[in-house]
Amino acid sequence: MKRTILLLAIALFGILGCTSEPAENGPIRFWQFWDVAAIQPIIDEFEAANPGIDVELEQLTWQSGLEKIQAAIASGTQPDLCELGSTWLPRFSYEGVLEDLTDVHLAIADDFIMWESAIWQGKVYGLPWVQGSRALFYNTDLFEAAGLDPEKPPKTWDDLLKAAMRINQLGEDVYGFGLNLGERYVLYKKFMAFAWGNGGAILAPDGSVVFNSPENLEALEFYRKLAEYSLKEKQEVLDHTFRNGKLGMQISGAWNLRNYAEEAPDLNYRVALVPRPSKNHGHHASFAGAEMLVIFKNTRQREDALKLARFLQSYEQARKVSMAVKSVFPASKEALLDPMFAEDDRLRVFVQQAMTSHSAPAHPGWIDMEDVINRSIEEVLYGRTDPKESLESAAIQIQSVVERFD
Amino acid sequence: MTSPPALSRDFIGWRPMVMLLLPWGVIYAAFFLFPFVFSFVLAFLKYNPLNVQNTTFVGLENFSHLFNDPRFLRSLKNTLFFVVGTVPLTTAIALMLAVLLRGRVPGKGFFKAGFFFPSIVSMVVISLLFKLFYAPDGGLNHALRAFGLGGHTWLTDPSTALPAIMVMDIWAAVGYYAIIFDAGFAGIPKDLYEAARLEGAGFKDILFHVTLPMMKPVIAFVLVINTIRSFQIFIEVFMMTQGGPLGSTDTLVLYLYEAAFRHLDYGYASAIAYVVFILSGIFALLTLKRFRSDGKAPA
Amino acid sequence: MNKTLQMVLLVVVFAVMAYPLVWMLSISLRSGAGVSLRYYQEVWQAGPFDRYLLNSIVVVTLVLVGNIVFCTMAGYAFARYKIPGGRILFILVISMIMLPKQVILVPLYILMQKLNLIDTYAALTLPFAADPFNIFLIRQFLVTIPPDCEEAARLEGAGEMTVVFRVAFPMLRPALAVVAIHTCLINWNSFLFPFILTNTTEMRTLPVGLALLSQGAHSVDWGHLMAGAVIASIPVVVAFLIFQRQIISGLTSGMSR
Repeated sequence: MKRTILLLAIALFGILGCTSEPAENGPIRFWQFWDVAAIQPIIDEFEAANPGIDVELEQLTWQSGLEKIQAAIASGTQPDLCELGSTWLPRFSYEGVLEDLTDVHLAIADDFIMWESAIWQGKVYGLPWVQGSRALFYNTDLFEAAGLDPEKPPKTWDDLLKAAMRINQLGEDVYGFGLNLGERYVLYKKFMAFAWGNGGAILAPDGSVVFNSPENLEALEFYRKLAEYSLKEKQEVLDHTFRNGKLGMQISGAWNLRNYAEEAPDLNYRVALVPRPSKNHGHHASFAGAEMLVIFKNTRQREDALKLARFLQSYEQARKVSMAVKSVFPASKEALLDPMFAEDDRLRVFVQQAMTSHSAPAHPGWIDMEDVINRSIEEVLYGRTDPKESLESAAIQIQSVVERFD
Repeated sequence: MTSPPALSRDFIGWRPMVMLLLPWGVIYAAFFLFPFVFSFVLAFLKYNPLNVQNTTFVGLENFSHLFNDPRFLRSLKNTLFFVVGTVPLTTAIALMLAVLLRGRVPGKGFFKAGFFFPSIVSMVVISLLFKLFYAPDGGLNHALRAFGLGGHTWLTDPSTALPAIMVMDIWAAVGYYAIIFDAGFAGIPKDLYEAARLEGAGFKDILFHVTLPMMKPVIAFVLVINTIRSFQIFIEVFMMTQGGPLGSTDTLVLYLYEAAFRHLDYGYASAIAYVVFILSGIFALLTLKRFRSDGKAPA
Repeated sequence: MNKTLQMVLLVVVFAVMAYPLVWMLSISLRSGAGVSLRYYQEVWQAGPFDRYLLNSIVVVTLVLVGNIVFCTMAGYAFARYKIPGGRILFILVISMIMLPKQVILVPLYILMQKLNLIDTYAALTLPFAADPFNIFLIRQFLVTIPPDCEEAARLEGAGEMTVVFRVAFPMLRPALAVVAIHTCLINWNSFLFPFILTNTTEMRTLPVGLALLSQGAHSVDWGHLMAGAVIASIPVVVAFLIFQRQIISGLTSGMSR
């Protein structure tokens, strides 16, 4: 009797193992990170317009999507079309696993922003789909309480510092500005907004390391001053504190627009461009990340996958994604002219901010550089090193990363 | 490990043995031994899944590099601190809880379920929620303010970030181990207690001279399992601090994870994995040895 | 021990342990106007959660049955037989728990791909159907019990399978209770492998479905996360309450032997 149970158990596992073989010229496999409920209607529309092309959609998690993509590549079963973040794309381009899309780029270059991350050694490996920049959130109630004019958000570093200082004095648990600390991966996005605005950079256009430039130093010194009137915490905590009305200003992303509307409908806040160094110097820079569409090299359906990519990328479809997920915007320049974005004060700022935003340098060693930069900012904010020393030592380490990938 | 008791058969014959070991053996060979060997080989290679063609043999380079790598050394130190700090405390508190649950207590099931509840919730969710709990206006500071304390940013202070995560871990795990101890207590023959009571032993005598010695195998088991689990601390730091601030919560498995999936250096990641493997092996063996030399397990 | 002291201590520890959970629950209810089940409804409607739940129950049940059957068999063999090279084999078994699972992710995926098992229940259950932890536990438990009953059964002419499942199995109840708790908890909350090893919505388990829903690129959706966490823990609480009775009855009958 027990033996029957045993045999049954083994047989059970055996039967479950049976799968049907995928067809030779099967569907296009498309892996992406957004909610299936938001993307499936777009795919349905594509399939209806392109009889004969089937699309198999899979959603990856932000937490572990990259592991899955790597495992799939290692076993030779990568999808045909895939969404990749702009910080990751350069490494994939460098490793030679992506289809060269330079010809497509040449035809549509002027219609989209955020191409930088797709370009490696003169070739283009990805198509911009959606993008998200970071802008200045400010609490208008706290502005009024501090005697500041909510109609006039800070435009310059000086304005920002003064506003932060005055709001910070409102109470023990009220903070002037929110500054990211205590986590990795995010720090550079906030600091570099000021450095870029001041004309600074990480790599010069010719690829040389300029992280220790006077422009960056000035920005870091300012950033350190700002930290005195800031809550120094993780992104979630900053977003949460702002939601509770205890944080005067912070630089954050459009995901908060959706979250605050749902969770704190009574919160009075506005969004403005990130301040620039001074009235007649620098620009309103910020960080923007793009979600890029890439085609893997071993695909048997390059043309169909490309067709789908171009369809997704089109303003009409990318706008649907944007409206559904409410945290990113189409990478198409048409967004600038769209009344939907133009009429909403907050959305307009985000679309506008994207035009003067920068993304991480398109270098395959970026992930390594990012670690160096985050650490360097962290050490200054914790008072372990002074800004100049920190930037110098970071520049040396970035240089060694550059050499590793030459 | 204790050796099989003397009464057991010397050699029972191949048939029943193969039959009993076969299902496990198949699963083991396919899903444990194969990946194990695979990752062991990787530790001597430069392997990047995006570029498998350029895999090269590097000998012991991955291992020798470890000892000149400040982040590895920092991760090693933090992981050891984590293990040494949490394992004994978790075990002691869990034992205490299990002792408290002995005898007839009103609402016992309720308490048990309450202690056990944190173990049910996935660590991902717990980590995300404790991020807020430790925030300046989070639950911990709320509670501390009632005592005139508080206002500390627990996870952004390099000196408190790791201890804060350790406390969370202990909180999340004690209930689980308390249930195991509770099951272990029930396994102690009742006549032993009666005999002790007849001899006039008090609560303390019974606890230290009857209960705890009888619990030795269970305690050893919990210590070993908890040590192995603690050496692999990952999801907590990955979700809460990503190793920061200033590397104060860098752990071995977090570094392994980043080496593999962020820096695409699978060989180096495998080398770190085998350091974890060897270290937890040593700790587990030491624990078992210590508990064995202290006296035989009750049979 | 003093009953009052025991009670006071229990209440104090309970309060300290419950505080973080109560605080978190209050967060999830504080948002919006008053208390509402809105998040729960939204979570449930956001995806095929009935399917996720079903998958999770199927997977955990299969894994549990697998572990109880296979680990009892293997654990028994390791505890009672003199297996040639058994000591080394046993060390190999338990040593597997000590390797961080992140490193076997890619090889396991490749293997599943070659076996054509990606996106099947087999991929979600087979690798976890004989957890070394459980073999270790059962073996350790068995060596503390004298094999008298089994010998007696053998003398009466019982086959080895009968000895294992009819004679040894009932004595293993306390250990199997721990096996059940351990296996259910680990697999119920398992996220990484189920995510990597499945492709379609139909094969997702509850933790994967929840992760897909509540963790955005840069933010956490607290309301939905909390609601999802509560939904995910209800079946375990129910299972625990049922098991608790089983454990107690199992223990008392097992011990009177």
